[in-house]
Amino acid sequence: MYSPPVYQALLTRRYLTSKVMPLLASLAVVLCTAMVLITWSVMGGFLLNLTQAGRSLIGDVRIAWPNVGFPHYEDLIQRLEEHPEVEAASPIIETFGMITLLENRTEGILIRGIDGESFARVTNYADTLWWKPLDEPMQKDKAGDDVRLEPGDRDLLRRVYDDGLSLTEIDPDTGVRESALVLGIEVGGWNVRTDWGGYYPRVQFITGSDGSSEMQNLFMPAGGELTVLVVPLDSRGRPMEAVTSRLPVANEFESGLYDVDRQTVLMDLKALQRMLRMHPAKRVVRSDRDEADPLGGFFEEDDTANAAPEPEIVEDPGRVTAVLVKQADPDGDVEAFRERCRAIYAEFAADHPDVPGAGSIGVETWEDANRMMIGAVKKETGLVLIIFTFISFTAVFLVFAIFWAMISEKTKDIGVLRALGASRMGVAWVWLRYGLAIGVVGSLFGGLLAWAIVTNINEIHEGIALSGDWLGRNLTGTPWNWYIWDPKVYVFKEIPHSIEPWKAAFVLIGGLVSCLLGALLPAARAARMHPVQALRFE
Amino acid sequence: MSTVTAQTPVPTEPASSGPLLRVAGLHKTYRLGRVDVPVLHGVDIELGRGEWVAILGASGSGKSTLLHLIGGLDRPDKPSGGRPGATIRFESQDVVAFSHAELNRYRCRDVGFVFQFYHLLPELTVTDNVLLGAMIRLGRFGYMSERAALHETAARLLDAFGLKNRLRHKPAQLSGGERQRVAIARALINDPSLLLADEPTGNLDRKTGAAILDVLAEIRRERGQTMLMVTHDPEIAARADRIVELVDGRVAAQKD
Repeated sequence: MYSPPVYQALLTRRYLTSKVMPLLASLAVVLCTAMVLITWSVMGGFLLNLTQAGRSLIGDVRIAWPNVGFPHYEDLIQRLEEHPEVEAASPIIETFGMITLLENRTEGILIRGIDGESFARVTNYADTLWWKPLDEPMQKDKAGDDVRLEPGDRDLLRRVYDDGLSLTEIDPDTGVRESALVLGIEVGGWNVRTDWGGYYPRVQFITGSDGSSEMQNLFMPAGGELTVLVVPLDSRGRPMEAVTSRLPVANEFESGLYDVDRQTVLMDLKALQRMLRMHPAKRVVRSDRDEADPLGGFFEEDDTANAAPEPEIVEDPGRVTAVLVKQADPDGDVEAFRERCRAIYAEFAADHPDVPGAGSIGVETWEDANRMMIGAVKKETGLVLIIFTFISFTAVFLVFAIFWAMISEKTKDIGVLRALGASRMGVAWVWLRYGLAIGVVGSLFGGLLAWAIVTNINEIHEGIALSGDWLGRNLTGTPWNWYIWDPKVYVFKEIPHSIEPWKAAFVLIGGLVSCLLGALLPAARAARMHPVQALRFE
Repeated sequence: MSTVTAQTPVPTEPASSGPLLRVAGLHKTYRLGRVDVPVLHGVDIELGRGEWVAILGASGSGKSTLLHLIGGLDRPDKPSGGRPGATIRFESQDVVAFSHAELNRYRCRDVGFVFQFYHLLPELTVTDNVLLGAMIRLGRFGYMSERAALHETAARLLDAFGLKNRLRHKPAQLSGGERQRVAIARALINDPSLLLADEPTGNLDRKTGAAILDVLAEIRRERGQTMLMVTHDPEIAARADRIVELVDGRVAAQKD
């Protein structure tokens, strides 16, 4: 049985420990390996956080028929929730509309009508509500500046939080609980983002006609109402007259996705159904026309004034544009779960001829729904990785250059080895093993360095920022902002990171292969050396 | 100086009759750019078992080339223009016809080299330098199983050469004479039939060189080692049993 000669291992060990150049090569591999692994971990973590944020908004699967929506959704939800793989399901309406904010600023927004209770079971809606009492400051809020920590505001914040969950607010004049809005935290523009990534309400001064100045706290804004405008569609998808409604603000939410927080407004499902004429209603069918009166035929159940004489009245069920579904196993195969939901919908559609067919309805996973965003980040991650991998190829050339120089230096040694009977392959293996050893040492230490940095990246980041703060104060009198990942700019307050074992293995093996590649040509050169010329080399 | 022995007992009688080495019609030409430089012009030489032969010649006479060809480090010219190919017979084997693997094995087991400039590996200790040939000869498992015996042999050789206290030293910590004695121990570790020494005293002062020659003489006396030594110094050559004088790549004279 062939066994590799022991001199190769001996020389590898001696060369590795007695020379500075291979240590530099190892260091280059350490840095390159760590650089690629850290980049991949941070970008991967960023992608993971982003997708989880996206998942938290719509659950695992969305069954959608946009704009006109579909009826009998209660039956669909019941069928879904009877299935053991389904944790919960929630009806939702998504439509575009306009919102008139303070000082008549009007903006286009996505309005989502939700049922607060079931929506919170399907998504992490309750966690996204921003205004709620806090017992402890958030991790980045070192100074404890968060206004939500105020002991005096706990009752107010508790009430606001409950209002946010129910999407209602008590009218101070009538004492009646009425429908209210929950805005994305960036929609109103009345919140200021702090250095640590939190928010506090803006304060403005209003000058009265008598010249007096009054301070106004723009919290949500307290006591104010906003105007929401939507355009309902008839059952054929034709636009009807725009409907407006003035609603107070119950709370604000922060999803972690800037676009969502900037452009989304939540309101009570039933209120939005009414505005969009998608609520349960009775329809008058005249005997000479077998169709509904598209414009005048709707009326409330108690709205008998509009009832036609001798009517044939048909019950029209309420409609939603989508049903969100959460699977019971959070780590389950979401693609398989989608197919399960599709099958349940097919059974549902078979029993209800007035709903879209199973082949037409959109059944998509949270990944499908966020594919534009996820795809963009994936591409960005891939691009950054390719760039860093190319940069890391400098390690290959460095190993190549060092080995080439070492083989010139060790030419006589190679001649001696050949004179003592070493084969060409034996000599080549000395150098390949040497490259492998540098790769093993470099990759392992690079992996350890990456692990140490990635698992402490936020502490390191904080340390750098505090150093800048201290240095700036002592050298210039003002703190230097050395926040690389500034919570004021990025949605995630912490630098996201996620080291996956297969990624680490891939990078470490890549480091090894790089070193082997770098050693390949010099090893071939050493193997091809003529022993006499090597011994006579000056 | 104590007795010089390697790991196997020294045969007191030749294994077979006839010369250990027979070289005939050895030609070697080197190519320098576009110019062919003939170095050896049909050298014939025989080496008896246990014989110490000195190749004496001026610089450029082809004596080192002859040593390299005999030691399997290089190959002689192929037959051309009606000139027959060279013969290098070692024992009953045709060295010229050896494959690469056979040449490696021949260099490893049958011959031992001693160079003018010692050519010790600077990163290795004295012991590791001596054991290098054994490491090459044996695979990992073979070496590990014989490791203790090999270390004992190396220690005994080095002890015999007065290097008992230098086992863990690096070559840079040794004098020239000590380095050459380490190189001789390295050449002997695999107990070769033929020791090839290329100007073994060429890099040493006269006194140290004489001590090295004493070591070689001791080896020959104790082990019955066959030795072929290249030198340009007639006085050194005189220590050998027989002198073959090489002039311009041809054997000019042989004298006992």
